[in-house]
Amino acid sequence: MPARTRPVEKFAKATAQCSVEAAAYGKCVVSDYSSVHKDMCAKEFMRLKDCFLAASKKAN
Amino acid sequence: MFSLHTFRANLPRRSFAATSMRTYANQTSGNPMLEVFNRKTKHMQKDRAAQNVEESRNVDYLKDEVAMRLCERLLKTFANSVLACDQDIKRKFPNVLDLGANSCNIARALTTPNLDMAAPEGVATPPLAERISKLTCVETSRALLHRDEEMPFNKEIDITRDVIPDLESLPYEPNSFDAVLSSLSIHWVNDLPALLDQVNTILKPDSPFIAAMFGGDTLYELRGSLQLADMERRGGVSPHVSPLADVKDVGSLLNRAGFKMLTVDVEDIVVEFPDTFALMQDLQAMGESNAILHREAGPLSREVLLANEAIYRSLHMEEGAPGIPATFRMIYMIGWKEGKDQPQPLQRGSGDVNLKDILGGGDFEKP
Repeated sequence: MPARTRPVEKFAKATAQCSVEAAAYGKCVVSDYSSVHKDMCAKEFMRLKDCFLAASKKAN
Repeated sequence: MFSLHTFRANLPRRSFAATSMRTYANQTSGNPMLEVFNRKTKHMQKDRAAQNVEESRNVDYLKDEVAMRLCERLLKTFANSVLACDQDIKRKFPNVLDLGANSCNIARALTTPNLDMAAPEGVATPPLAERISKLTCVETSRALLHRDEEMPFNKEIDITRDVIPDLESLPYEPNSFDAVLSSLSIHWVNDLPALLDQVNTILKPDSPFIAAMFGGDTLYELRGSLQLADMERRGGVSPHVSPLADVKDVGSLLNRAGFKMLTVDVEDIVVEFPDTFALMQDLQAMGESNAILHREAGPLSREVLLANEAIYRSLHMEEGAPGIPATFRMIYMIGWKEGKDQPQPLQRGSGDVNLKDILGGGDFEKP
């Protein structure tokens, strides 16, 4: 019986395809990590999220 | 039958509503207990983790490693005590307790031959199990405790498995064990001082308690990046990683429980994971996920997970490394129950040799 892919594995796979966007978002948050506030890097995050959504759609 | 009101008349106005029959105030026994972890949650996590036998075995790498290191310390401890007391080198422990045994990882380590690193190469040293007549493994999760019951190591050591509802009240007689071992369990205990007190009671005089637990800076990377992700995505922080005892507190805790000749040391084990999801999956499969009392119900939101992955990578991943590091900080502690013929430190000021005469130095110019 082939092992069932767990949702978290799919999630990880899709995220791995967005390393450029992830790096940009990570850099934005880390650049000023002592005063992070809500939606500080919303723009970067939306880019990451869009990439992630596209990647997970492609996988299905 | 008397009326309840006759009792209630004497009570101050701020008393409870009469919904409960016990309207009198009662004193709590002992210290008021501070609850940090949700015992039920932890129990459930451990049970669930152990039910997936294969995965649960796969993630035993950390517990097995720590159990090994713990047993090495057991060996060393006895080598040292032999030097100090000139006792028989083959000291035996008829009755040993493994407190919070998980899947009996310590039993497995005890039955491993050639554990003694100090032994000359090529000389086979027998497993420690030969010096132990009876090992009692006590654990809260039945599924986890009995997971490896059928494995061959069970035949090499006499194991009794006890399931108890919680580790904080041990059902054993005072002065009944020759050693108490504990590996990666007592960091989930709510009332550590009380537990140590009990351990001290059930030990025979001049017997050791040797334990390993996760300490303060364990998973600091994950703790930090989840906090940042929470802040940026949701504007607030919720505890996702359980708090742990600090190294500097352990000594005084042991001291308070009456242990003598303390040794506390710290070791970092850094494990590399392909991504944060793998790390969290493994933690879950170990049954070591967050169990803090006021944790948020339900899983982490996907947005936070996604943000966390990105932040963790940019904070902690080394250039060109294949994966992300996760630090597990182990605190090892050794304490001896007070015994009659135990070596004692001399009184302060009773030395009659000046160390300066032997070692030299110590001359400082006065400013």
